[in-house]
Amino acid sequence: MAYQLYRNTTLGNSLQESLDELIQTQQITPQLALQVLLQFDKAINTALANRVCNRVNFKGSLNTYRFCDNVWTFVLNDVEFREVTDLVKVDKVKIVACDGKNTGNAAE
Amino acid sequence: MSNQLNLPQVDSNQVPKLYRSVIEDVINEVRELFLDEGVDEQVLMELKTLWENKLMQSKAVEGFNTEEQAALQAAAQQQAQQAQQATQQAQTQQVLLPPQQQAPQQQVIVQDPKILQHMSATGMSAATTAATLALPTGIGPYQQLITSQGQILQVLRAANGTQYIIQPQQQMVLQQQVLPQMQPGGGQAPVIQQVLAPLQGGLPQQTGVIIQPQQVILTGNKVQQNAQVQGGAAPGGQQQQQQIQQQVQQVQQVQGGAAPGVPQQQQQQPPMMLQVDGAGDTSSEEEDEEEEYDEEEDEEKEKDGEDGQVEEEPLNSEDDVSDEEDQELFDTENVVVCQYDKIHRSKNKWKFHLKDGIMNLNGRDYVFSKAIGDAEW
Repeated sequence: MAYQLYRNTTLGNSLQESLDELIQTQQITPQLALQVLLQFDKAINTALANRVCNRVNFKGSLNTYRFCDNVWTFVLNDVEFREVTDLVKVDKVKIVACDGKNTGNAAE
Repeated sequence: MSNQLNLPQVDSNQVPKLYRSVIEDVINEVRELFLDEGVDEQVLMELKTLWENKLMQSKAVEGFNTEEQAALQAAAQQQAQQAQQATQQAQTQQVLLPPQQQAPQQQVIVQDPKILQHMSATGMSAATTAATLALPTGIGPYQQLITSQGQILQVLRAANGTQYIIQPQQQMVLQQQVLPQMQPGGGQAPVIQQVLAPLQGGLPQQTGVIIQPQQVILTGNKVQQNAQVQGGAAPGGQQQQQQIQQQVQQVQQVQGGAAPGVPQQQQQQPPMMLQVDGAGDTSSEEEDEEEEYDEEEDEEKEKDGEDGQVEEEPLNSEDDVSDEEDQELFDTENVVVCQYDKIHRSKNKWKFHLKDGIMNLNGRDYVFSKAIGDAEW
């Protein structure tokens, strides 16, 4: 089972919302929706691992950090994200990171 | 299967493609599941559509998400362009035609005042006008007709089949000749757009205009009606006004028009009431009490945390240390969802080695395969 980490992204949330709408109109069952999400997890994990190839650097100040259940959660302030092409600045960012050492096996 | 080159590309280009490929993968994989459960393929397509629409709406991703939607948007743009072209052409023709009446209105009326004037001046018969204006219904989407007087009428055919004849010139002889000359620019635009949207409410307002931009929507029948009624009209301005007004009302009624009567539009603005005495409302009606109350309020604000809590913000709220409010002003919480390779700390210096992440920063989506960061705690 792949990380369900990516469900809280634009892509993942829009999928969940769409599934919810279909459930409400009773066009699909919740069980089926869950299956779809599991499939989504696999697809996004694979896609990120195989189809993306770029590097980003960032710098900022660390506001909080948390390590629990092998999941790191950071909150940074005044961060600059730098790529070869462009620069993005934000006042606050939250980073959620699962253990990447295993090949995406589910964190338990 | 990867269509992406391994060359460093602008990240924003990667994201739409990546998302699209993920969507395709998921939908294809899930198709079997749907069939197993006995769910129709239609539902699957609906899921896909919903998904893509939400992505588009979020504006987190650049570009359209599917080719279909790209085609749809292109079609929408074309329609908008046509409307603009109609506007522009109508405007240019207005400039050319010498306005004998000072009507600046944007109207879509069959009768051309010029025709009427010519009628009176040259004795043209109403029949000619009617014949000219009685258009065949098989008009294409956008054509121009040349009347017997050499005027160019423009015909738009809306999607629902009704035809609109756009007169290049404004007609109505107004009682008040105060109106400015033809307004270039945005003048025509609202009407044209309204023309295309059959009888929506809310005609644009003009000051001092009795008959405001009207929408006389013509089908084959009504053309003749108008022609006949106006054919017999004397060239007097007022009579034309009234008749046209009646016609408009008739047309509007017949069409079940949502547009309110013309004179009513000027009254549509709701009365504005301003409250000038501040937010601390009380139900007190007497002035004396209010004055006393104000004084008390001032005194109470100087006290510390007593019962001086009026309906306003609780006292001492300035003492609160809250980071949240400022940051909630942002619509998006900037989030990075990823996996970590290594997290390192030395005293208060942290180093992050991350991979396979999706970021949402300032409302936009980004992805990375590797991210390295430094932060001081």
